[in-house]
Amino acid sequence: MLVLVTACFAFSGTVIAQTKPILFGLNYNYAAPLGGFKSDVISNGSARGFSGSFMYPVNKKWQLGLSAGFQDFYQKYPRDIYTTGNHETTSAVLSNSIQIIPVLAKATYLPMGNSNTFIQPYISAASGISLVDFRQYLGEFGSNSSNAVFTVQAGAGITMPFKRGKDAGLDIGAGYNYVGYQKFGINNLNHLTANVGVHFPLR
Amino acid sequence: MKITQLITAGITGLTLLIAGCTKEPINQLSAEESRIYTSSYDSTIHFSDYKTFSIADSVTVIDNSGNAKTLTASDAAYIDAVKKYMIQRGYVQVANDQTPDIGININRIYQTATGLVDYTDYYGNYGGYFDPYYWGYGGYGYYVPYNYGIYQITEGLVSIDMFDLKNAATKGKINLMWNGLARGTGIFNSSNADAGVQTLFSQSPYLTTVQ
Repeated sequence: MLVLVTACFAFSGTVIAQTKPILFGLNYNYAAPLGGFKSDVISNGSARGFSGSFMYPVNKKWQLGLSAGFQDFYQKYPRDIYTTGNHETTSAVLSNSIQIIPVLAKATYLPMGNSNTFIQPYISAASGISLVDFRQYLGEFGSNSSNAVFTVQAGAGITMPFKRGKDAGLDIGAGYNYVGYQKFGINNLNHLTANVGVHFPLR
Repeated sequence: MKITQLITAGITGLTLLIAGCTKEPINQLSAEESRIYTSSYDSTIHFSDYKTFSIADSVTVIDNSGNAKTLTASDAAYIDAVKKYMIQRGYVQVANDQTPDIGININRIYQTATGLVDYTDYYGNYGGYFDPYYWGYGGYGYYVPYNYGIYQITEGLVSIDMFDLKNAATKGKINLMWNGLARGTGIFNSSNADAGVQTLFSQSPYLTTVQ
């Protein structure tokens, strides 16, 4: 279990840019559903997520790269009666389970990248697709649907090196995720994420 | 070789990571929570027009090898529970030869060859199920007047069927008027029968009459 918890720390790339090797980042993510996702599907936050990135430092202020991640959302609702057909009702405990795997092109901007400030703020933007696996269970009887949907992510946070002048360091941030899932009357799976992780250069 | 090993290790690690970070819904359910109860009815029926019922004295077990009538403790518990809640809803129990308005069959259905039970065919080939003669309507056929779904059977299910005997002679067939299904872990335990039947009746408030 400890291995799995430790392994849930994943990656994202943000660091003081130099003309240095590609940066590999791992972040642990906590996610909170928003809007219709929260009110109609799953309201519970998810502490089961991670993300990672390979970022190329174009200069001291800009990094470009690829980001990917995983977030698991789950909620069980108490027994209730649902309409399941014409003149048909079913009494069941309903469970919703959603796994989101975003694969995104990402850009990170460090506004103070040219300075020697130890703690560097950053903002980021990313766009791509998310693989969404939606499983719904009535009791132990389930169905599932898998789709790839458009995704946009905007984030902000701080990054700092473990030692002044070194490439490896710590990242702390938050992000807004638009996940354009539109099935079963659901308009989106938007959520906020908070992340903490590390980055280091690939040599 | 080294790169191949790294890629293999990476994919294996990622797979374990995702599995470890995913909460499996079925593992979060108790036996009670795993069970579902589905009821459906013929919307053209006015249940208050029916006053009496009779229930078959044993349960038909349907599985891949055919069907047979049995009366286990679980079967008896389901029969008793259906009697109890029908009487609570105002219906009077009579013998099957006293021209009941409603005939009730209970079936246990287990894994079929296809894994599917199509309820539109369910009584079309009743074979060893309760012959219409049991209800005093020999020669009549069972008929499912509305659209039942196709259910995938994993562990089996209990099916409770109510038939319109009151109008069988007029219509020339025995129409299904209500069906209740219990599915999930522990449905064949006699201790769960009453709660299951109670749930089916609770979600069927139209199933009531006044003498």
